[in-house]
Amino acid sequence: MTTAPSGPPALQTVNLVKIYQTGGLPVPAVRGVDLRVERGEFVAIMGPSGSGKSTLVHMLGGLDTRTSGEIWIDGRRADTLSESAWAILRRQKIGFVFQFFNLVGNMTVADNVELPALLSGASPKHARERREYLLGELNLTDKADEAPGRLSGGEQQRVALARALANQPQVLLADEPTGNLDSRNTRDVLRLLGQVHRQGQTIVMVTHEARVAGLADRVVTLLDGQIVDDGAVAPARRRKQGPGDVVELHG
Amino acid sequence: MNTAERRWIFADLRARRAQAALTVLAVAGIVTALITAATLLEDGTNPWRGLFTRGNGAHIWLHTRDAPDPAALRALDGVTDVAGPYRGAPATLVQGGKKTPVALQEMAPVLPAVGRPIVREGRWLDAGDARGVVLERSFARAVGLGTGGRFSVIGLNGATHDLTVIGLAESGDQGFYPEWTPGLAWTLESTLEQVEPALGRSESVTGLRLADPDDTSLVVQRTITKLAGQVQRVSTWREVRASMELDNRLLGVLLALFGVAGLVAAALAIANATGGRVLTQRRDIATLKSLGFTRRQVVRMLLAEHGLLGLAGIAAGVLCGRLITVYALADTVVVPLSSAPLLAIALGTALVVLVAVWLPAWRGGRTPPIPAAPVAPPRGHLSHLARLALLVRLPPALVLGARDAFTRRLPALLTTFGLAIPMMLITIGLGCWATLDAFRAHPEQVGQAAALIVRPGSVPATADAGRPAELALADPDVVAVFPGTEVDALVPGQTRTVRARAVGTVSDPYPYSVVEGRMFRDRGEAVAGQGLLDLLNVRIGDRTRLTIGGTPLIVRIVGRVLEPEQDGEVLSVPLDTLAPKDALPPQFYSLALRQGAEPEAVRARLQGQGLEVSQVVNPADRLSVIRIIIVALVAVLALLGLANLLTASAVGLRDHAADLAVLKAMGLTPRQVMATLVTGTGLLVVIGVGAGAAAGSFVSAGLIDLQGAASGVGAGIGRAPTPAMLLPAVLTAVGAALLVALIPARRAARARVPVTPR
Repeated sequence: MTTAPSGPPALQTVNLVKIYQTGGLPVPAVRGVDLRVERGEFVAIMGPSGSGKSTLVHMLGGLDTRTSGEIWIDGRRADTLSESAWAILRRQKIGFVFQFFNLVGNMTVADNVELPALLSGASPKHARERREYLLGELNLTDKADEAPGRLSGGEQQRVALARALANQPQVLLADEPTGNLDSRNTRDVLRLLGQVHRQGQTIVMVTHEARVAGLADRVVTLLDGQIVDDGAVAPARRRKQGPGDVVELHG
Repeated sequence: MNTAERRWIFADLRARRAQAALTVLAVAGIVTALITAATLLEDGTNPWRGLFTRGNGAHIWLHTRDAPDPAALRALDGVTDVAGPYRGAPATLVQGGKKTPVALQEMAPVLPAVGRPIVREGRWLDAGDARGVVLERSFARAVGLGTGGRFSVIGLNGATHDLTVIGLAESGDQGFYPEWTPGLAWTLESTLEQVEPALGRSESVTGLRLADPDDTSLVVQRTITKLAGQVQRVSTWREVRASMELDNRLLGVLLALFGVAGLVAAALAIANATGGRVLTQRRDIATLKSLGFTRRQVVRMLLAEHGLLGLAGIAAGVLCGRLITVYALADTVVVPLSSAPLLAIALGTALVVLVAVWLPAWRGGRTPPIPAAPVAPPRGHLSHLARLALLVRLPPALVLGARDAFTRRLPALLTTFGLAIPMMLITIGLGCWATLDAFRAHPEQVGQAAALIVRPGSVPATADAGRPAELALADPDVVAVFPGTEVDALVPGQTRTVRARAVGTVSDPYPYSVVEGRMFRDRGEAVAGQGLLDLLNVRIGDRTRLTIGGTPLIVRIVGRVLEPEQDGEVLSVPLDTLAPKDALPPQFYSLALRQGAEPEAVRARLQGQGLEVSQVVNPADRLSVIRIIIVALVAVLALLGLANLLTASAVGLRDHAADLAVLKAMGLTPRQVMATLVTGTGLLVVIGVGAGAAAGSFVSAGLIDLQGAASGVGAGIGRAPTPAMLLPAVLTAVGAALLVALIPARRAARARVPVTPR
């Protein structure tokens, strides 16, 4: 484990509840989740469709409001923040990667990656340097001036990853980052996630693929909005990645 | 504003250049139309401004016995330049046996730098043509002389000289005839010398141009002191301007209505374009928010982006307005719009643009930050009607398109309104056009039964007061002759007089167009225009007391007539109601002509018999500028409709991006897919255009009547557009809209459709 020895956890939730109102009927999506993610930890959240894993990760990033419970980010209570305070918190401490990449279609790859840095007040020069570094790391330097629409899915997701990492966030939240990719691109993206994790990045990743979850330090399984399993993955197993590695044991 | 925000705005503008250009164009069109309209209005009601500027006029004209020293006048404080001194002499113009006083003024064959007459027809004085004179245009019209016309003048010594009109000119230094008398004729020095050889019977006319027009009275005082008793008469630019100013409230009200309508249409177009754009961008906006853009930042970006387009449009419009004034209207308008109305137009439009952009921007700011959230998926199922339609084998594309049109209720409503309102305004514009046509075709229905007016003149009629009437009646085209008199009447409680018109008698009344109440049937009864009823605050059936030439008169107002003159502030009584001293002899005879007769021809015939005949100005002639504005407005409104339509197609395509794959998978050919999309938009177009045209023709007559009432003419002038006008307009609108909808639909139908979002 690369957990930092001291300091508050990167992320913590206390009895987090989300209830949607659908046609006047309350539909609970998350029912009292207590989750603690230490700094530098890589947590995979698994579960079948509708188990509340996406809702949970959206709430962790402030994209969705909680019904009750507490969210602590980096030792600060965040669930009581206003919408704009959440936005500012996101710029500084949280990076998001989505299943459908969600690059801004009108902007070039370079602009997409520079946007978060510029947003948090970095100078255009600093933002450019950071972008050049990130795109270089992700092997995308020659795609900098392309429109996102002209890139393959894997390339787009790598750009999205670069954008999420632009501000060196405290936590990287990834919602099914490989859900829309073929196996080769999945492997590429996972390799990159592993790489940034080794550099000390805290990652919370939602996935329903056991093979993808196997990359994490710890796998949390949700069912019907509740944590049914929370366990570390043996480090030895993580080294061996491949098509044959499909049998997973949980719970 | 943050660099990130700026970068997003520019990226978005780059991505939709055509749409952005259309928004700019629409706003620019509205602003240009408003500026042009206001310029024409200002110029039309205040012709002095243009004439004075173009002729580099003199602010003060001095009439002195002897020629003053120009150098001494130029040396006066505040005087920048001097025109003249010119020699001037009074004479009598004789033409066809009738005499009119005229002022002759010498001028050089080369036009002077200051106080320059503007030649409108023919040419200026020529040193080789001693008989040629140039007449002031309004005077020439009044006496019925044109270029090439011959007349004679009698000097004070009684000698007659034959002269020829070689040109007609206007001047900002002389008011229009007959408000400004005597009429003016410019002659060569030698010609004047012949007509009036005696220097003692002529005067000297000198113009002073001032650095600051506000110093006029001060300079006048100084000059009078300086010239010590020599000055006989002084006229200033203020008097000239006042004599030229038209109080054309009807025109003003019409233009104001157009302006407001145009602004409403522009607001709708911008709100629609911005709203549509924001709707198609919700996913991007959600992504931005997930990156850490705050709600306020999103609102600010959208406001800035769309607001900037609007402001760019305003700037372009102001520029275009100026260019049109300078180039397209160079002949009619010389002076650009003064700054107050220009500023009002620019600021008013800016306000409208910002308000129109604000609501969609605010809604954009409220987008939830989860980019994956589906945008309210279009729902709907095949209705029984649709099933029935499919059952009777209507083309499936039509049925599916019709269903698509209404799946998203709010955008469907916005599109329909976005098209209905421009169409309604176009219909109202056509109604104005029809009203003008009615003015022209049936002047008797708007209170102008008489096309010609005969004045007994000075020579033959005094002996025999009835003679002009007999002469006129002898003409085959004249149906009726009504003796008449116009007098000023004092009304108790009013500081000014009103016009009392007595035309026709109780037994033989003038055919007024009575729209309320009834015609007068007895002495002591009167009918009045809306303007007078408003002014005196009386209603039909009320009695009112007036004083005419010292004689008190009590009349009962029994009806309201359409009154195109004097802003409707006219009281019409039978001639025999007036005291004989006021009524006899009649000042003029109004001639009603046979339907279809040419007033010009009749006038020429009667003038040939020595009568002084003038033609009544049709209100439609004064309002002819409205026609230009209607055409411009229709163009701008069509542009706005187009902008709305493009937004609608963009939103429609976005909604159907996923459906398209399904439709194709179901086996619809590209042509059927295209037909589906066009039907979806086209149905809304037909509903919008139809509703707009119906609403427009329903309200146009009422609205024009409202304007009529506000302008004093009175309700009852409004006409709805004729079907022959409306039908082509509707068909053109629908046809053009379908063509516009076809292009994106065609492209979408042929494009390879992605199955996943993005």
